[in-house]
Amino acid sequence: MNIGIHLPILAIAVPLLGAFALPIFAKVHKRLRDMWAAAVGAFTCAMVIALAIQVLSTGVVVYTLGAASPTQAVTQGGFPIRIVLTVDGMSAFMGLISALVGLASLIYAFQFLKEDQGKTLAMTLFFLLWAGMLGMEYTGDMFNFFVFLEVTSIAACALIGYRTWESRPAEAAFKTMALYTLGGLLVLLAVAILYGQYGALNIAYLSSRIRGSQLDKIALGLLLGGLLMKAGAVPAHMWAPDAYGEAPAQAAMVLVANTQASLYGLWRVLFTLFGGALAAPAVGWLVVSLGTLTLLVAVLMAILQRDLGRLIAYGAVSQIGYMLLGVGVGLVALASRPDFGLVAMQGGIFHMLNDAATVGLLMLAAGVVRRATGTKDLTALGGLGHDLKWTGGFFFLGALALAGVPPFNGFASKLLIYESSFRLSPLLTAIGVLGSILLLAVFARAFQGVFLGPRLRAAQSPPVGMLVAMGLLAAVILAMGLAPGFFVEHLVTPAARALWEGRDLYLAAVLGG
Amino acid sequence: MRLVTGQGYWSPLVWLALAAGVAFFGWLFWRLGRRTYKAGTDQDAPFLSGEAAPERAHVGGQHLYWGFLQGLRPTLEALRVFHSGFLGDYVTWTVVVVAVALLVVMLT
Repeated sequence: MNIGIHLPILAIAVPLLGAFALPIFAKVHKRLRDMWAAAVGAFTCAMVIALAIQVLSTGVVVYTLGAASPTQAVTQGGFPIRIVLTVDGMSAFMGLISALVGLASLIYAFQFLKEDQGKTLAMTLFFLLWAGMLGMEYTGDMFNFFVFLEVTSIAACALIGYRTWESRPAEAAFKTMALYTLGGLLVLLAVAILYGQYGALNIAYLSSRIRGSQLDKIALGLLLGGLLMKAGAVPAHMWAPDAYGEAPAQAAMVLVANTQASLYGLWRVLFTLFGGALAAPAVGWLVVSLGTLTLLVAVLMAILQRDLGRLIAYGAVSQIGYMLLGVGVGLVALASRPDFGLVAMQGGIFHMLNDAATVGLLMLAAGVVRRATGTKDLTALGGLGHDLKWTGGFFFLGALALAGVPPFNGFASKLLIYESSFRLSPLLTAIGVLGSILLLAVFARAFQGVFLGPRLRAAQSPPVGMLVAMGLLAAVILAMGLAPGFFVEHLVTPAARALWEGRDLYLAAVLGG
Repeated sequence: MRLVTGQGYWSPLVWLALAAGVAFFGWLFWRLGRRTYKAGTDQDAPFLSGEAAPERAHVGGQHLYWGFLQGLRPTLEALRVFHSGFLGDYVTWTVVVVAVALLVVMLT
């Protein structure tokens, strides 16, 4: 069997199987469970990377379930009736983000989670969430996109609230569940409208048929609303700080990547499904407006926080604003296709990768602080740098990178966003720079409050596994900061081009011709 | 290594070289200073307007930017009230986003 052909489905099926088999192995022996989890994690990452290499070297990869040949997406009548996975440059890029975050989360979880506090449950839910995210990113079918969206929603809510011996996680999980249900129903309604009109669910086929009827517009509006909420855009962002702030560290960083999977869904809908024809430029301006509002409101709220987890959570929400700003500028520019449109999209998409690594690192560092002191209250913390030197260093690196301080990776992606948004309106750049300055102030405050000053209490250093997970993310941050051109050329540009001008290739890969 | 931005380029290595140069000149300037500092003496104690510093004094994270926060108090207070924590408000604002999105799309 040529396993290379089956990479798209295996990348989803392996973590899914891993999730359901993990509790069984845990019943046999905890060591066996850990070995199974490590094997599933390594195999999933290897397949995601191999698939990305395949896509970047040969173009769009199509995988059809139930067909005589996996590449046979359409029937003899030219109708795509089967479930199709379609992986282009953007999907492959998102898969790599999910793999990076998933791997770091898994390494961290082995020693962060305690056996008597639902370790098996948390790891099961993690694999389920991972499979759902990869499914959202690889599917070429709108109904399956909804199904995977729901898989991630259920797993995410359970991950936020499984610690039932504490009150706040349960409340955060309930609020998130209510909002995710609303968002899921909006997406389902939109999918139903499209199916009612065209009798199909395949994204490529729908994209070739959509002409901009009133019903198409209603579907687009519903998809926009549902996915913007799941992405955490202001003012529909309020669930995000609750969820990120209350979830355990290894889960919180995966929730951020899950949010980015929803952003990916939004980009796929706007650029591929609706082809930009309906979307630009009015919807582009809507995305730009929500982006600037998100980055400013979230960073101002971060200033007010006294809980380290919620402070980082608002920082994470503010970064969603930069992504919306970058890709929104690209959407506005899509009709006239000026050169800065592609640069803006490169900035927004590169920032997704940067955000996953930097916010993930900050959340893992906050988890170490919570583990060492039992609190994340900034008023009660201080002087931890004496005992948690590596953690303090990682937090400092993540804070500088997130705030966009040169020469780190956050600066590179924000520079692309600033320069391109300046061509659209200098005001957008001014707001973006202001947001970054405020974010630097917020994290300077957090670092000073937690790690500097006299030793207020003794803190135990984290186990090596947790340091390795943070070290992995730190290494990625440094590599992307020192060689941004390499990452943009080989990973970001193919992803941006897949959205900017790759719609025809996407349709041709699925429908033929 | 260079990142082409459309308007120019960004090179972290050039930036690091410049930063190293600035740090070197800063170090030279520091070397010109008086060498009377002694670690572990009263020189290490924080200066709090001439008052005796309490044992293990630490300016906590919540105290930084106090003046800045006071200046922005009305805006920040409005934002805090906006983030009420009530699920009904969360749903309401999501519905508002959906309504605005539908309006924008329908008017396109």
